[in-house]
Amino acid sequence: MVSLNEIITSIMEFIMSNLKFLIQILIIPGLLFILGFVTVAVWFERKYLAHAMLRIGPLYAGKISGILQPIADFLKIFTKEIIVPSDADKRLFYLTPILLPVVQALTIILIPFAPDWVVFRGGGFSLILFFAISGLAPLFPLLAGWASNNKYTIISSLRTAYLCIAAEIPLLLSAVGVVILSGSFDLVDIVEAQSRMWFIVPGFLGAIVFFIGILAESERVPFDIPVAEQEIVFGWRTEYSGILFMLTMMSEYIGLLSWSLLFITLYLGGYQGPILFGLTLISRMFWVLVKLAVLTAIIILFRTVFPRFRIDQAIKIGWKYLIPLAIVNIIIAMAIKSFFPFII
Amino acid sequence: MIDTIKKLFQPFMVVFSHVLKSPHTIKYPYERLKFSPNFRGRHLLDIKKCVGCGMCAKICPNNCITLIEVEKGKVRLPQINLGSCSFCGLCARYCPHNALTMTELVEISTDKRENLIYPPVKLAEPPSIKRVLPQLEKEITVQVTKSKIKYIRRKV
Amino acid sequence: MRISWGPQHPMSGQVRILIDTDGERVLNIIPDIGFTHRGIEKILENRNVVQGIVPIERMVMVDTANIALSYVRAAEEILGIEPPKRAQYIRVILCEVCRILSHLYGFGLAAEACGGYPAVFLWTTADREPFLDLMERITGTRWSYSFFVPGGVYADFPDKIKEKFLATLDYFEQRLEAYRRAWFENKIFEARAKNVGILKPEDALRLGAAGPNLRGSGVALDVRKDEPYEAYDEIDFKVVTRPEGDSYARLMIRYLEMVESVKILRQAIENMPSGPYRKFVSPLRRLPKGEAYTRVETARGEIGVHMISDGGTKPYRVKIVSPTLRNLYVVSQMPKISEVLLADVPVILYSFDPWYLDADR
Repeated sequence: MVSLNEIITSIMEFIMSNLKFLIQILIIPGLLFILGFVTVAVWFERKYLAHAMLRIGPLYAGKISGILQPIADFLKIFTKEIIVPSDADKRLFYLTPILLPVVQALTIILIPFAPDWVVFRGGGFSLILFFAISGLAPLFPLLAGWASNNKYTIISSLRTAYLCIAAEIPLLLSAVGVVILSGSFDLVDIVEAQSRMWFIVPGFLGAIVFFIGILAESERVPFDIPVAEQEIVFGWRTEYSGILFMLTMMSEYIGLLSWSLLFITLYLGGYQGPILFGLTLISRMFWVLVKLAVLTAIIILFRTVFPRFRIDQAIKIGWKYLIPLAIVNIIIAMAIKSFFPFII
Repeated sequence: MIDTIKKLFQPFMVVFSHVLKSPHTIKYPYERLKFSPNFRGRHLLDIKKCVGCGMCAKICPNNCITLIEVEKGKVRLPQINLGSCSFCGLCARYCPHNALTMTELVEISTDKRENLIYPPVKLAEPPSIKRVLPQLEKEITVQVTKSKIKYIRRKV
Repeated sequence: MRISWGPQHPMSGQVRILIDTDGERVLNIIPDIGFTHRGIEKILENRNVVQGIVPIERMVMVDTANIALSYVRAAEEILGIEPPKRAQYIRVILCEVCRILSHLYGFGLAAEACGGYPAVFLWTTADREPFLDLMERITGTRWSYSFFVPGGVYADFPDKIKEKFLATLDYFEQRLEAYRRAWFENKIFEARAKNVGILKPEDALRLGAAGPNLRGSGVALDVRKDEPYEAYDEIDFKVVTRPEGDSYARLMIRYLEMVESVKILRQAIENMPSGPYRKFVSPLRRLPKGEAYTRVETARGEIGVHMISDGGTKPYRVKIVSPTLRNLYVVSQMPKISEVLLADVPVILYSFDPWYLDADR
């Protein structure tokens, strides 16, 4: 017979011995960080788009310019009914929006926020593991579009498949450039190798290729072709309502988060930055957050400026322009590593 | 090549300059646009001037004006069905004695269709915006200058 | 597979377009109109010529002055009267302002259709505001003015309207610069709209395109120059054409026509003669027997009104030839004359600037 006292003491022992792991999973870079990022990103997008369009955006929810509006929408959406089309494949219809944010969030555990603050080290191969897990992500829009049993959604899933295939290869090739410059597949070692100069300087072409690849892979404007509202209503998300709809919206922002974090780690120096007030851990996390904020602000800005591409133009960019640029970047990286290793 | 880069970056500058401007929307019902004196809103009937000629009923394109008897022995006065009215203003333009004019009230919504039929007594009441919009605080006039549109807000 | 780009769609308007596709290529476009049919031609048989302005100007709400003008001119031709000079200038000013308003709206919708560039659509909506304010001071409402009457216009311009007009035109010219720099010189918009939906001049004339769509293929036909009406023969302006014939050219024509309209407005305001603004015509008189056909250049193309009167107070028959119906026919023949992809359908459709209420009447 186990008494209540023993249960409580064993739970407290578990928490105390794994405190660091629990904080990493639940707070940063875990659950609260992801949800907080999604909330702030949604608020910023709505406010910035509104002011660029000469209107006001969320105003009344929360005392300061509608900051609680995303939370209000989140609570409202629990009261909406979930409608499933009659001929849809019910199991896949329910499963895909639930699994998609999970798979995308799974890649965030590999990103280092400080040399000792990474959830899973990956045995020295975390870059390859990142691409392996994120390669699963395009599968889910494909299944969701097929499971909805709707002509619009099938067109959209095919477009997702084409787009993600065209975008993955340039991303991998420019990551190869970074691996050559740093000499290791491990993300912590890559960040440590940027202590003197961030890799965006010698690998400038690779950074451009990677940035355009991020826009295509996370389906942001000008590449939000699978969700082309003007032609195919809402793409593979058309038939979703209620909580499932909210999960598909969240998956867009979580995908943006995970790829932005990878871009920061590979090219923008990760957690490198001057130490403030002698607090190493907090200031390293602070620099990651600052870089993340600037990068996602620039990506969200794109939405007000550009219309979207057609699918054949997007694929042409991926295959015809980005791959040669990435190969040139690899050659430059090899040249720098062999002849001018003192630069890095 | 330079042309392509210029065409990719130029829209950014233009859009960014718009973020710095003030928004064009007004926070209705706390603010309201001020309309000009000849705005065509709800009608206003001057009972002393109306002679019951029926010109407004004849000219109305939607047949929403009928003349009804209010007091025994006095002239018949018009009753307007604002639900079918298209606010074209022909009745006010063709009234020979300027008894029917149009005011600047547009907030006439109710919850029953029968309440939109305004008998002559109701048409003779001068409209009051404060009663319809109790939260109103400011009135806005639009002023156009060479570089921007200004919304001038005055307390009501 | 047959997709119904139907009335329940974020970007279709009040029409149902059936698209037959084979993968991404479009084989057939079949428009299905009639959702907003109100029977305007039948209503006009039961209204006299003064009352009849009210239904007909609700045919195209955004461009009301041009449509009402065609009806009023047909009535004036049957009655045999000509409006005074000042009224003609006032009518020209209102028509050109409506042309600017309609082009701004159509342009904004096309920007939205090309891929969700919502900023330009909302800027055009905001820029219509000074013109709507001017119209409100002159006529009394922001749209559907019911200001024209056979014999002239209902009221004269109020005092001090000239300075407001010139200030608005100065502001608008500076905004046109912003549109050119943010939208027409935007690389991705060029990639989306150039060489899409090419309409050659022979095809445009054979299939019956109207208005700026015809001029976008290089054919210089404009009713204001071929058969000048009102005060257009005393005002100096150009007919704008582009030789390419793709969607980019059609949208560019709308932009350039706005520039021309600003010039026309400046000349009309400067040279406006003084004098009477109305010859009174009683609304209850009988019309003489006869028929008349008038053509007016609206923002979407040429509209024709054929009015037949048999001697009563109300016309016997009013037939309206609408521009959007002809443009929709050209759109439906597009897959046969050039290569159309599924993603191009909104771009092509909105570069023709359809307004389904005047296709249905």
